[in-house]
Amino acid sequence: MKKGQKFRFAEQKFSLWLVAAAAMHLLLLFSAIYLQILDSGRHETQKIVSVALVTLPGSGASQESSAKKGGTEALSAPMHEIPHPPAKKKSVKVKVAEPKELPVSQKKVVIEPVKPKAKTKPKVVEKPPDITKALERLKQTVDKKTATQPQPSTGNINKALAQLQQKVKSEGEGAGAGSGRGSSSTGRNGAGKGYGSGGTAAPYKAEIASIIMQNWEFSKLLLKNSYGMEVYVRINILPNGIIKQIVFDRRAPSEYLNNSVKRALEKSSPLPLLPKEEGTRDVWIGFVFTPEGIEK
Amino acid sequence: MPDSKLGLFGLLSDAGPIVLFVLSVLLSFSIVSWAIIAFKFGYVRKSLNESRAFLDYFFEVYNVDKAFAESENYRHGSLPRVFRSGYIEYRALGNKADIRQLRVRIARAVKREANAESKRLSSLVPFLATVGNTAPFIGLFGTVWGIMTSFHNIGTTQSASLAAVAPGISEALIATAAGLAAAIPAVMAYNYFTNQISIIERDLEEFSPEFVAAFINEP
Repeated sequence: MKKGQKFRFAEQKFSLWLVAAAAMHLLLLFSAIYLQILDSGRHETQKIVSVALVTLPGSGASQESSAKKGGTEALSAPMHEIPHPPAKKKSVKVKVAEPKELPVSQKKVVIEPVKPKAKTKPKVVEKPPDITKALERLKQTVDKKTATQPQPSTGNINKALAQLQQKVKSEGEGAGAGSGRGSSSTGRNGAGKGYGSGGTAAPYKAEIASIIMQNWEFSKLLLKNSYGMEVYVRINILPNGIIKQIVFDRRAPSEYLNNSVKRALEKSSPLPLLPKEEGTRDVWIGFVFTPEGIEK
Repeated sequence: MPDSKLGLFGLLSDAGPIVLFVLSVLLSFSIVSWAIIAFKFGYVRKSLNESRAFLDYFFEVYNVDKAFAESENYRHGSLPRVFRSGYIEYRALGNKADIRQLRVRIARAVKREANAESKRLSSLVPFLATVGNTAPFIGLFGTVWGIMTSFHNIGTTQSASLAAVAPGISEALIATAAGLAAAIPAVMAYNYFTNQISIIERDLEEFSPEFVAAFINEP
């Protein structure tokens, strides 16, 4: 009887220790979590260094430089012609190249009279009036050609750009929220559309969207699936263009996408100076990143 | 930039079911082994101290009646318990003329109590050895499984960047860490207890004949 009581007492004591041990473990777990929170508050997070262990598929970084060169052109061009941004660029190139051809044709005209000089020296005295005539004819033909062909000068391009900017401004003022869609013609896999919210001028938003796009190193081929892959980010920009804060309102299931967005934003800082209308206050601008690009 | 997931909590929440199961097993192992450590530590230490104190008193007086009265103060000591069982057997015997019979009966009672005491001392201790031996392997199993899953994910996402590989390996390694955290104190406590228990058992072996002789030579 006594032994049974003793055994029961020992059992109770052991259960007590069991409960105490469980409590101790819980306490330890919570204190570890609490210490981590405390520690993360003290130290700033280190920048993530992404090292690819193998060669990544998709287009390379060599296109980055060309995208940078594109600059504001790449952004403004697709604003009025979204489906054909590369075609637009090509046409611009052709137009710029054509005036250069003109002097070449003139040179040909100059060269031609030299040949007859080499062939027959006595006729040289007689031919000058012919050469001048020929030159005049050539000039006339060239003039005709230039008149018939629509030659867009840089003035025309500037006009088109000004019209576009006015259009964007009027849209921004009317809606109260700016919107811009842009795709880098030279872009990588992630090239896309821009979205801004808030009271900041739309051209400025479009400009920073293009800068972020240029700095965004992302390949959607690395994602398992694109379902629900949306990152809602707000950035706080100081008047001097420095990104003060990045807030993820909604994260994508893929940390790769989240990290790439964060890196792109960090890389883009400092952004261009805020427009004068904003005064000296800082502004918040929101973006939605998807594997297809920055989306509205 | 408040965008980082909480380290430990994030690791646990992202871990797969197998890793979580392994972690829960290791947590329960750790809880039970710490309870055993706390329970046994008090028990063994008290037993050793009281045995030493009783032994000193016994050799000082060398009187079974006085020693029995003193043994009431040492309820948790192993040697006082063994002595008490021998004394009860000695007093229960009516005919003390047959010394051979007396010796056999007392020796048997003392031995039985010594065995019971030895069992009582070493109970639950083997669990510590089990935890110490198996917990690292269980943790390793969780790690291997986690890394296996991680590599599988690398294959499916076709991404070998650190951002894709590191979280899985980190989740997997937490199982090994948990296994070691459970095993290390268990092994240390097991070694300590086996050492202390062997000291008490040696005392029981050596002094049990002394007790029997004391009862027989009782004037």
